[in-house]
Amino acid sequence: MKELTLEMAEKMLEAAERWARDVAGIPCSTAVVDKSGALIAVHRMDGAAMATTEIAIEKAWSAVAFKLPTLMMSRWLDPRNVGELLGDHALGMVGRGKGRLCFIPRGIPVTGDGGEVIGGIGNSGIPSGVGDISDTSVSQAGISALYD
Amino acid sequence: MAITLDTAKKMLGAGKEEARKLGIPCSIAIVDDNGWLVALHRMDGGLIPTADIARDKAWTAAVFKMPSSTVGQFGNPSSPGSGFNTQNWNDRLTTIPGGLPIEIDGKVIGGIGVCGGTPEQDVNICRAAMEVIQAIND
Repeated sequence: MKELTLEMAEKMLEAAERWARDVAGIPCSTAVVDKSGALIAVHRMDGAAMATTEIAIEKAWSAVAFKLPTLMMSRWLDPRNVGELLGDHALGMVGRGKGRLCFIPRGIPVTGDGGEVIGGIGNSGIPSGVGDISDTSVSQAGISALYD
Repeated sequence: MAITLDTAKKMLGAGKEEARKLGIPCSIAIVDDNGWLVALHRMDGGLIPTADIARDKAWTAAVFKMPSSTVGQFGNPSSPGSGFNTQNWNDRLTTIPGGLPIEIDGKVIGGIGVCGGTPEQDVNICRAAMEVIQAIND
């Protein structure tokens, strides 16, 4: 894999939607962006809240911008980690990137053959820690679809 | 009633097929009856800004319940009661052709916006996608 195509993005979205429908049973939005953070495709499932598309796009963008899962970035803002991860400056991150930076889990960068970031996937609409649902499973389902 | 993701996907499929025939990599956006995004695809090679512009066109068509190009008439100084400045009204409003309202049984259920080709080509791609809706209407 060198870059994400629309065809690959659609495959990822289908897999994430399947996970949301069959495993979580919760409608949500999923977005895929390319290596520059630009949107390739986004889908909002019937019944998902209106704001979820925008947040899914922001999560995917943030994951690419920092080359990190947004789950890791959410730790920067965890009060228990202040002084350890990014220290007291962490709160200064809020609202950066023209307000597009999102520190909520479920945004994951997609890596290519050489480990370089070639895009990102983001999802919004599924509450954290519902039952035994891991925080990032829905986005990981999308990435797994690339290796089917 | 709002458009479903399933219908939106079918419209995107038909639109992309037409775009491939015309040889134009473009972005296609589908919004619901309130102008909120339901689905957006940017084809391989489609320029980055086309995604946002397609979305703006779809929003304009859905909330004004008329083609985005028709909305431009409100800013025409020669028309009686010409009201708002269409260039700087809000972040989303655009009067560029290529946005059409999606109607079922005379009710607007959403909007479609296409960006990537000339205005005529964009509208043609919209119309091709709209055939999915016509099939539902018939």
